Order: sequence, then C-alpha cells, then structure tokens
Amino acid sequence: MYDLIIIGGGPAGITAGIYAARKKLNTLLITKEWGGQIIDASEVENWPGTQKISGLDLTNQMKEHLNNFELEKKEGREVINLEKKENFLIRDDKKEEYEAKTVLIATGKIPRSLDIPGEKEFKGKGLSICSTCDAPMLKDKDVAIIGGGNVGFNMALDLSKYANKIYVLEFLEKTQGDELLKEKLEKTGKVEIYTNVAVKEIKGSQFVESLVYENRDGGENKELKVQGVFVAIGMMTKAGFAEGLVELNKEGEIMIDKDNNTKTQGLFAAGDITDVKYEQIVIAASEGAKATLSAHDYLKKL
Amino acid sequence: MKNTENKKSTVRVFSTESCPFCVALKDFLKDNKIEFEDIDVSDNEAAQKEMIDKSGQMGVPVVEIDGQIVVGFDQDKIKSLLKI
Repeated sequence: MYDLIIIGGGPAGITAGIYAARKKLNTLLITKEWGGQIIDASEVENWPGTQKISGLDLTNQMKEHLNNFELEKKEGREVINLEKKENFLIRDDKKEEYEAKTVLIATGKIPRSLDIPGEKEFKGKGLSICSTCDAPMLKDKDVAIIGGGNVGFNMALDLSKYANKIYVLEFLEKTQGDELLKEKLEKTGKVEIYTNVAVKEIKGSQFVESLVYENRDGGENKELKVQGVFVAIGMMTKAGFAEGLVELNKEGEIMIDKDNNTKTQGLFAAGDITDVKYEQIVIAASEGAKATLSAHDYLKKL
Repeated sequence: MKNTENKKSTVRVFSTESCPFCVALKDFLKDNKIEFEDIDVSDNEAAQKEMIDKSGQMGVPVVEIDGQIVVGFDQDKIKSLLKI
C-alpha cells in the first residue's frame, strides 16, 4: 500500500516525485515514458536556470534529478484503470495492480487522433506523428501533412529536406501557422497547401499508398497518391481510465480547484491534463509540486 | 549472473539521427553497458530496406537482438531479450 501513486513522467509527474520523496511519502511513479511532450522539443528557452536546452537533455536532467531520491518507479507502463474503494486501486497494461491512499494524475496530453479508417492499420507503415524520426524514410517520396498549424508547417519543413512533394491539408478555411514559416515552405518549391478539406481515409496494402479527402464545400472525394502521412492536428487528453472519479471540461481536461483537488477526495491532478489554462513546462512542474503538497496535507489528516 | 556462459548478444540499432526515442534507446543500451551496432538509416537505402523487410513497418527505432526484432523503444521487451 502506497501513500501516493503518481501517474505520468513528464515535468508535472517528475516534479511531483521529487516533492514526494522529500516529504518521505511511500510513493510509486508509473509512466509510459519520460518527458512527455517535451521529449521532442528541439529547443527550450524558458526553463529558468538554463538558457537553452533540448527537450531530450532537459528530460534526462529531470530524470537524473529524480533518480537522486528514493522513489519506486515503473516505466513502460500505462495505467488502464483507476477506481476507489476504501483506497485507490490501479491496474496497468501489464495487468499489475497497486493500491494507494492518494493518487496524482499527471499524464498530460497526447497527439489528437484522426479517427478515420486506415489510421490504426498504417501507424508506423507510412503514417507518423514524428517528422524528425521518420522524414529520412521518405526520400524522394510524396507525402501529406494533416494540419496547417505551426506543428504541421514545421513538419513540412523537416520533410522538405527529403521528400519529393509535400501536401499540407488544413480543415479550416485558412491555415493557422505563422506567415514566416509559410513563406519558408513556399520557397522550397515542394509544398502545396489545400485548405477547407476533410481527410476521410488512409489507404494502401502493406504501406500507405494514398489518402482520400473531400472539399468541405461539397464535391466528390479526391485521392492523393502519397507514401507518407504525418498528423499534426493538436493534442488531446486521455483520462478514460479515471472515468467517474473526475469531472472533465469540454476539452476533455480534468477540472481541478486551486489546490489540485479533483472531485474525488484523495485524487489529485496536475499539468496539461488539467483545465489550468496555460500549458508550459514551468507551469506543469509547479502544478506537480502543488499537487504533492496537497496530497501530503490530505494524508496528514487521514 | 543468469547466464553462466555469459554469451554476448548481437545487438543492432536502426535509427535516424534526430529521433528522440532513438537517442533514448541508445542511451539506455549504453547505460547498461550493452555493445551495439549503430545503423543510421537516413542516408542508407540498403539499411532502410533491411529494416522495413525485417520489421514489416517503417518507424524508427528498430532493434535487432540475436535475430529478434523489437519495434520502438520497448524497454521491457529489450530487457527480457538481453536478460538484464
């Protein structure tokens, strides 16, 4: 039986772990991976004390900092169920179960999925969310990027070093990315931007071969021959494992009070998974600290 | 020591330079003092083809441990294959 189980290993979860260890709480931290969204940030320039650092280096520094403390950790695991009886019961995707007096949810956000046919089948088979990882695999190929925000534009730039032709598909009438980036894309001579289009399906045999989209003003479905599809349509939360124990807003974020309490006593939340308005590394870290201190206060009263 | 013969595993990592999980995977192997062949597929079409043929997909990283293929940085699987 743990005093506290922290779910998540991003800035909120790691900071929570450091605070829990310093309070000598009997703590377990469960995470699928370390760093969360910061891991593929190429540069972080707003973390006090370090002028410039890559997301991966910052993740490693945070992890090392946490490793200085006595704290039990389980990595490579995703929590799939959380319920409350007398205490909190947690089950992970390896079917292991844990019990705790308090729980802190800090699982952040993950890339939003398309929810269209072909998405699951072609993941890793031409469909990707990481252009820095997979762009080199698409040398001289044609690719589509779904989403015309800054993330999509940056992906298009990464791809322009390798791919033959790049289509950027935007759902809205206008792309949302910065003009400066758009100009850079135009200069490559490889990028074509389609706006006001909805992507319907990703098709292929073993690997991606084409993408079906429709113009939102009407007209028939059109098919683009592409060998790669990159998805950049924003982020979402995944809080289904805590269903019934937390209140979600319409964005799917867990609603908390100023001391990180959820609607269930003893259950706390911190970082990007919550309805705290601003999503920044420094804010997630401080929310993780606050939540642990709240859990500590709660445990004292038990 | 679990393996009395202490036979070294042959480990090959297919990766691209800039992918965060490739770096994390290689750091993990180094931390555990595992020797490995580092194959950058970015500019190596033969290696790309080999990786795709063996793993049936095109995402990096891919690790080959004594002929067994692991897609992605799957720590539990890698640990069990390396017996660490």
